[in-house]
Amino acid sequence: MAQAIIRNVRYAGMATCVPRRILSNLKDCPPQIRSARERIVRNIGIETRRICSEWQNFSDLAFDAAERLLADLNWDRDEIDALIVVTQSPDYLIPATAIILQDRLGLKSTTIAFDINLGCSAYAFGLHVLGSMMAAGGIGKALLLVGDKAASVIEPLFSDAGTATALEYDPDAPPMYFDLNSDGSGYQAIMLPAGGHREPFGLQHAVPVKDDDGIWRSPTALMLDGPAVLSFSTQRVPSAVRSLLEFAQCPIGDVDYFIFHQANKMINETIRKKLGLEPDKVPCTLHDFGNTSGASIPVTMTVRIREALLGGKKKVLMSGFGIGLSWGGCIVDIEDAVFPELIES
Amino acid sequence: MKAAMDTLEQFVEKFKNAVDFQDEVQLTGDTNLKTLAEWDSLAALGVIIMFDMEYDKAIAGKDLAGCQLVSDVYKLIG
Repeated sequence: MAQAIIRNVRYAGMATCVPRRILSNLKDCPPQIRSARERIVRNIGIETRRICSEWQNFSDLAFDAAERLLADLNWDRDEIDALIVVTQSPDYLIPATAIILQDRLGLKSTTIAFDINLGCSAYAFGLHVLGSMMAAGGIGKALLLVGDKAASVIEPLFSDAGTATALEYDPDAPPMYFDLNSDGSGYQAIMLPAGGHREPFGLQHAVPVKDDDGIWRSPTALMLDGPAVLSFSTQRVPSAVRSLLEFAQCPIGDVDYFIFHQANKMINETIRKKLGLEPDKVPCTLHDFGNTSGASIPVTMTVRIREALLGGKKKVLMSGFGIGLSWGGCIVDIEDAVFPELIES
Repeated sequence: MKAAMDTLEQFVEKFKNAVDFQDEVQLTGDTNLKTLAEWDSLAALGVIIMFDMEYDKAIAGKDLAGCQLVSDVYKLIG
C-alpha cells in the first residue's frame, strides 16, 4: 500500500470529450439477442455508449479536450512543462502518444512527455505521477490526458472518451492525498493476450473461438473474467477507500462527492452500499456513457457535477480500479477550477 | 442482518433474484444449473454479490464453476 501526500499542486481544471456517435445496447444489436440484451442492460446499467468513428482515436478526443481546456484556462502553451498521457489505446505501439501530442498541441520541445500504461485505475495514478513531478519543482503548469478507445459494437460494456486535466504549481494549494495499489497475480482477469511481444500476432489469431457463453470471440479481442473482476473490485475497493480516508484524516461525511470508476451497476452499487454512501453523493454515468475505462472519473465529474464544482470548494474522493489488477484513489479539494461543458467530437 | 441461517427455500428465492431469470422458473435443490438458460457469467456476478451482501461470504467464479445443482450453490454458504 503506497500512500502519499502531494503539496503545492493545484487542480486547475478538466475537460472531457466523447465521440458524437451513440450506440444503443438495446437497439444496435441483432433482434435474436434483444431479450438477452435487456437482461444485460438491466444488470450492468449501461444502455447507451459512445464509439469513435473509423478515423477517430483516443488521442483525437484527448486533443480536443486539451485544446478546449487550454483556451478556457487562457494558458500560454509555452508555459506547459509536462504532458503525461495515461491510456491503453495508444496511436501506435511505439512511439508514445504523449510525444506525438506534444507536437500536435504546439507545446515547446522542452516539454516532458511520456505515456503511462494503465486502464480503469488510471486517473489517480496519473494525478500522482504528474503531481509528484510538479511538487519536486521545475514544472509550473502541466497537462494529464487520460482515456481509452475501448468500445466495440459486439460487447455492451465499454465506451470511448478522452479527457484533459490541468495541474498548476501553487504554494497555497491544499494537499492531495493518495492511496495506490497493484496486484499482478490477477493480470489475466482483463487482458489482450495477442499482439504483444509475449504472443505476437499470427494467422491463428484470425480464427474466432466459441467461449463458455456460446459467443464467438476473436483472440485479438479483450478477454474479461467478469466474476474475477467483480470479486476483486467489491472486496478491494471499499477497504481502500476507508484506508485513504483514514490516511487523510478525513471523516467520510466531509467528502462532497465520491467519484468511482464506472465499471458496471452491479459492482458500483455493491461498493456504494458497502461504504454506506447515499446515492446523491455518488454520481453515476453508466446508463448513458458506459464504462469509459480510465476516463470514467473525469467523464462523471463533467457530466454529473460540473455545475457543483464551479459553485465553490468541493472535496472530491476519486477511486479507480480494474485492469492490472490495479486500484487507486485520491482526495482532492477543488476550488476555482475550470470545467468546460461536455465536448462531443 | 446477514441471513446465514436461510433454508434452501429461502435461498432459492434470493438465487432467483440474483440470476435475474427472464421468465418464471421452478427451482429445487435438485435443479441442474446447466438446464437454466440464464446460468451464464452475468448470473455468476449476481450470485457472487448475493453471497457477499446477504451471507457476508466471499466466493469466486471457480467456486460456482464447480457447482452442478442449485443445492451445490446453497452449500457454499458454509
